[in-house]
Amino acid sequence: MAPRAVSAPPTDIHDLDPQAFLEEVHSFEFWFQAVEGYLSGLTYGHRPETVEAPLSDLERDRLTTVLCNYCVGETAALEGASGLIAIAPNRLAKVFLSTQVADEGRHLEVFLHRLRDIGVAAPEAEVERRASLSLRLFKRRLLELVASKDWEAAIFAQNVILEALEFAVFHSHAQTADPITREVLLGVVKDERRHIGFGENEIGRRLAGSPHIRARIGQVKKELDHLVLDTLAETVQHIGLPRDEEEQLGRAYLESVERLGFV
Amino acid sequence: MVDPLESEERGAEAGRQRFILEDTGFDEVPRKYRRFYRKWRGPADSLAPNEVICPVCKVVIRSTRELRPGDRVYCMPCMSRLVVFRNDAGTLEAHVAY
Repeated sequence: MAPRAVSAPPTDIHDLDPQAFLEEVHSFEFWFQAVEGYLSGLTYGHRPETVEAPLSDLERDRLTTVLCNYCVGETAALEGASGLIAIAPNRLAKVFLSTQVADEGRHLEVFLHRLRDIGVAAPEAEVERRASLSLRLFKRRLLELVASKDWEAAIFAQNVILEALEFAVFHSHAQTADPITREVLLGVVKDERRHIGFGENEIGRRLAGSPHIRARIGQVKKELDHLVLDTLAETVQHIGLPRDEEEQLGRAYLESVERLGFV
Repeated sequence: MVDPLESEERGAEAGRQRFILEDTGFDEVPRKYRRFYRKWRGPADSLAPNEVICPVCKVVIRSTRELRPGDRVYCMPCMSRLVVFRNDAGTLEAHVAY
C-alpha cells in the first residue's frame, strides 16, 4: 500500500494579504455564499414550520409600532445605500453597497410581511401613520447628506450610526420577541454585521488618511445623536425592555463611535 | 543563507500551539471559512489560546495558531482587520486596524 502523503499544514485565513482580504469580502461572491448559509430554506426570514405565538391586543399593538419604525430605518438605509453607490470612491465600496442594497430591500420586505402576518391590513399606510418623528427626521437628514454627495458624512450617518443602533436594538429585541419575529430579527442581525463593519472600517481608514474630516463628522454625530437616542428610548419603551436595558443599548451604540475617536 | 530575522520568526512560530479547527455551525460566512469563526455564548463562555473576540460584531475569531500580541486576524462576518493585544488583565483582545 502506498504511503499516505503528509498533508500540508492547514492554511489560515488570517495569513491573507490585507488587499486580498478586502477583495474577497467586498465581493458579490462572498455575499452570496454568506447569505446562502443562513437564509436558505427560510420564508420571509423565518422557518416555515415556526409556529405563531398568540399575542394579546397590547402586544400586537406594540409590535406593530416597533415593526413600523424598523421599516422606516430599513427604508432609510435602502435609499441611502443605493444613492451612495454613485459617489462611492472605488469599485470595492460600490460592490459592497450593492450587496447592502439587496440586504436592506430584504429587511424592508420581511418586516412589512411580518406586519401583515400579525394582522395589519395595509402595512405601508400603517408605517406612515406610526413612524417615530425622530426616526423620520434622521432619515431626512441622512438622505440630505447622500444628496449632497458627502461620502464620509453619509456613510458615518448610515453605516455607523443607524446600523449600530439597529444592530443593538434588533439583537436585544430578538431575546424577548415571539418566535417568528425572533427568527426574522436574528437573520437581519447577521446582515447588519457586514454593514456596521463596512461603515466603521471605511470611516476609520478615511480618518487615518485625512484627519481634517474629523471635525465635519463630529458635527454630523452631534446633530444626529439626539435623534438616535430619542428613537432608542421610544423603541425600548414599545418593546417593553427595562430601563437599564436602554442604558446598555445606548452604550452598545456608542461603542463604535468611541472606537473611531468620537465621544 | 538564512536571514536572521526570518530565522527568529520561524523559531517563534515553532513554539506556538497549532489547532485543527472544526466547523462549529457558524453560518454567516461562506462554507470554506466557517471554521475560523464561532458564536460567543455569553459570560459562561471562555476563549481558547487561538481565539479572540471581534470588538465590532462580537463574533469569536479563531486561528489555526495560538494567538500572540501583534498578530493580525480578520473578522469576515463584519469585514474588519484586527490586531491582537494583551490587555491589563493579561488576556488577549483585538483592536480594529483601520
